[in-house]
Amino acid sequence: MKVTYNWLKDFLNIKISPKSLAEKLTMAGLEVVSLEEAGGDFVFEIEITSNRPDWLSILGVAREISAVTGTKLKAVNPKEPKIKVKGIKPVNISVQDKKDCSFYSARVIRDVKIGPSPQWLKERLELLGCRSVNNIVDITNYVLFELGHPLHAFDLDLLNQETIVVRRAKPGEKITTLDDQQRLLGPETLVIADNEKPQAIAGIMGGKASEVTARTRNILLESAVFNPVLIRRTRQKSGLQSESAYRFERGVNLETAKLASLAAQGLICKLASGKPCGYKSIGIARSTDPSIKLETAYVNRILGSTISAPKIRQILKALDFCLKAQRKGAFLVKAPGFRQDIKSAIDLVEEIGRIYGYPEIPQTLPAIKPNLNICGQRDIVSRLKNALVGLGLQEAITYSLIDRELLARSGIKPPAQLVEILNPLSREQEVLRPSLLPGLIRCLAYNLDRQQEYASVFEIANVFSGSAGSPEERLSLGIALCGSRPILTKQGLVRDEFILLHLKGILERLFNNLGIREYDFSSQGSGLVNVAIKQQETGFMLDLNKQSLDALGIKNKRVILAEINLEKMLSHINLDKKFFSIPRYPAVTRDISFIIKDDIPVQGLLAAIEAKGLPLLHSAKIVDYYQGKQIPPGFRGLTVSCVYRANDRTLTESELAPLHNSICSLLEERFGIKLR
Amino acid sequence: MDIKLIQAQIETDLANAISPQLLEELRVKYLGRKGLIAELTASIPTLAAQERGAFGREVNGLKSKLLTLFAEKEKNLTGSIQGEINNNIDIGMPGIAPTLGSVHPITQIIDEICGIFTRMGFCVVEGPEVETENNNFTGLNIPLEHPSRDAFDTFYLKDYPKLLLRSHTSPVQVRAMKAHKPPLAIVVPGRVYRPDAVDASHLFMFHQIEGFLVDENIRFSDLKGTLSLFAKSVFGRDIKMRFRPHFFPFTEPSAEVDISCIICKGKGCSVCGRKGWLEILGAGMIHPNVFKHVGYDPEKYTGFAFGMGIERIAMLKYGINDIRLFFENDLRFLNQF
Repeated sequence: MKVTYNWLKDFLNIKISPKSLAEKLTMAGLEVVSLEEAGGDFVFEIEITSNRPDWLSILGVAREISAVTGTKLKAVNPKEPKIKVKGIKPVNISVQDKKDCSFYSARVIRDVKIGPSPQWLKERLELLGCRSVNNIVDITNYVLFELGHPLHAFDLDLLNQETIVVRRAKPGEKITTLDDQQRLLGPETLVIADNEKPQAIAGIMGGKASEVTARTRNILLESAVFNPVLIRRTRQKSGLQSESAYRFERGVNLETAKLASLAAQGLICKLASGKPCGYKSIGIARSTDPSIKLETAYVNRILGSTISAPKIRQILKALDFCLKAQRKGAFLVKAPGFRQDIKSAIDLVEEIGRIYGYPEIPQTLPAIKPNLNICGQRDIVSRLKNALVGLGLQEAITYSLIDRELLARSGIKPPAQLVEILNPLSREQEVLRPSLLPGLIRCLAYNLDRQQEYASVFEIANVFSGSAGSPEERLSLGIALCGSRPILTKQGLVRDEFILLHLKGILERLFNNLGIREYDFSSQGSGLVNVAIKQQETGFMLDLNKQSLDALGIKNKRVILAEINLEKMLSHINLDKKFFSIPRYPAVTRDISFIIKDDIPVQGLLAAIEAKGLPLLHSAKIVDYYQGKQIPPGFRGLTVSCVYRANDRTLTESELAPLHNSICSLLEERFGIKLR
Repeated sequence: MDIKLIQAQIETDLANAISPQLLEELRVKYLGRKGLIAELTASIPTLAAQERGAFGREVNGLKSKLLTLFAEKEKNLTGSIQGEINNNIDIGMPGIAPTLGSVHPITQIIDEICGIFTRMGFCVVEGPEVETENNNFTGLNIPLEHPSRDAFDTFYLKDYPKLLLRSHTSPVQVRAMKAHKPPLAIVVPGRVYRPDAVDASHLFMFHQIEGFLVDENIRFSDLKGTLSLFAKSVFGRDIKMRFRPHFFPFTEPSAEVDISCIICKGKGCSVCGRKGWLEILGAGMIHPNVFKHVGYDPEKYTGFAFGMGIERIAMLKYGINDIRLFFENDLRFLNQF
């Protein structure tokens, strides 16, 4: 909202510069977002919070300046004029439901001379960004900006029978509003009608049919209090935003409604030589709000300050509150009518703190009593992230909302039911993602397009799937690898193309780091590998097929993916560590290098070695593999490293040799290996 | 023959052996097939029967002593050979190391902020992103049909009436307070969603950190002290901070918190809009209505709450000018953090 320095000066003597005034307003909660010099005046643009409709006016801001600077506000109380013209029938007002409209007043002003507004008035409106129309319309706008209450002027002669009905629109009723739009109305909309038809959408915009024009001679000036919720709904539904609706939605008050009507009449008489010819109002008297009990000790208990009772009285009085002192340090406080936001003592504490000044309140540190039982799983997730980073992966954060098409293209099987967004702004926000992988694949494609040789990324975030009652939301880990990682060694560069085994390695490291044992990778064919922990399916790894790669525009590169249900995985974490004493006797390592048919899985082979090697065999691991020139087609070369150890002695060649040889024979017999 | 004398002689020779070649010559001389030890051993049968045992033991002792000494000497000499080789390395060549990734800058900022608050005694708690209208709005004293809701445009779910994507992390306040009794000191990082048109400073998804402290006798001054410590930890000791009155439905009194502009140090520049101040968070004393909603006695308990946008903090701290960069996941962006 905009106010000007000179206009404010109509209400009080400001002795400080516009710049320091802006500073003071900002520090009182009226944030001045810009201050510009224009037309010999200064225009302040102020962000008014939604709880303070009373600040949406020059008077409201002036009132605040008065409290902050201690300058007295000039009295604003125009008098009701004596009606001189006689023999004129009064306007009839009928309000269908007082809940919709708690107050309605109409003034009849006759013999107005429609014309342009005087220059000073035009200029003031223009500084606030309001276009001048004619003197009557300008005056209603002027009063709106000055006092904060919206008014509407009808051409009285265009109203049927000079009767005003405040009612809900009937189904199918139409109105053409001042912006020349024909609008279909319904029972959810409050209208101002004559005997015949709606003449205005209450609180939002007037109708074209009774618009004040150059031909207008007599006017009916409306000042009313409408139900904010009703105005808000109509505004949202019709998309009709106006200065008037903005204020009604936030709440106007009876006193200002009356004041504004009178002030506008005064200006119309002065500037358009109108004659006041009657006033009628209908409405319920506002129930007086109860006084609020306020204790000085409470104020200081909330603020951590030492504000005295007299200071509290001074601040609240400056803000137009009525105070009745009770026993020492306690008050009964009554808020002025325009302060509908004040409902309880805490609201008064804010007022006191605000005017006393937040900078004056000391800084202290609270004694915090930590409750360790309620800590979430962020620490363990952090540990997970750090482990993945240590393994060379980059964390990505992708959108939780995705489009269906990306999901389809990425070749990830969606759950039975997706969670759809009711009001997406674009197709990219259609559904809540059921998997992290589409986003990660998009991230890979994005980076490959930007000349990256490889990308290895992960994300830890929630995924969603539809289910009865409420959607299922759970934490997931997604990993995506693509391309060839260049690895520099002493011998030079090696290009290491990501394959499923890289991902297996990463997951194994991760599981070991978190004390997860008994995990298992089982191939399902077509590049799909299930990952289980303690026989419970926990996730999968996937070597993305060509069809999906083509659909995603990824060429000549393999994409390796994994998605792990983190909630399942975290339930298996075991961080209880136990120390095993370091072996006292040396181990003996014997490698077996051999060739084996490449369709024989190594899992069974290793298991057989381990069974045979008991109890001296400590471990058997594949430490090298080779396929190439020296290996016949259909075979692969493997090196298994067997580590033997006893806890009570150094092993001798004589006890080792027979065991190791028996393992070699076993492999030859059962797996058909050929030693190299 | 005096074995001890021989040993002393050999030790002297060893000390003078300054190269592997010299050491090898000594090994041949003493331990070789025709060396001194072999000679001594061969001489044993020529001795008188009663002398053989003692002499044999002495020779064996000498032999094992020499083996140790030679091994030690060899280790020393080859060690210095390695030194020579290392000197031949062109240290201008690239270093060899496994790749190290990094966590996302948003995660880094969240970790940093959570770290500051956990050191003060706060716990980190997270909450679901799909929320109820009640936790997101009504429980936080935001009436459904009130202009104060305009600040929180919200994504709703299609097949689940009354469910939405949380538009702020504050619903976790309601959840935590319903689940636990005071005292509570909690920080809540997480994703939030608002249907905002996307531009350089707006996205439909971003991150917030919420913090709140509830106990008997928590005061606005405590809020000031806590946040001041926080701002100095994140932005530096010299930073100035100011609390401006503001309005949030769930706090009263409420404040917006500014820090002196970290670019121009408060003089006024394009980043701070010539104001010299940067708004970084919203805060206030938890509204008694929020306490009533969760069944806390507002006469007994008071508390403060604060919330901030992580992307904004990260943009200020790192000098990032477009919020979209965070979720494009360009490796050339991510690698910088």
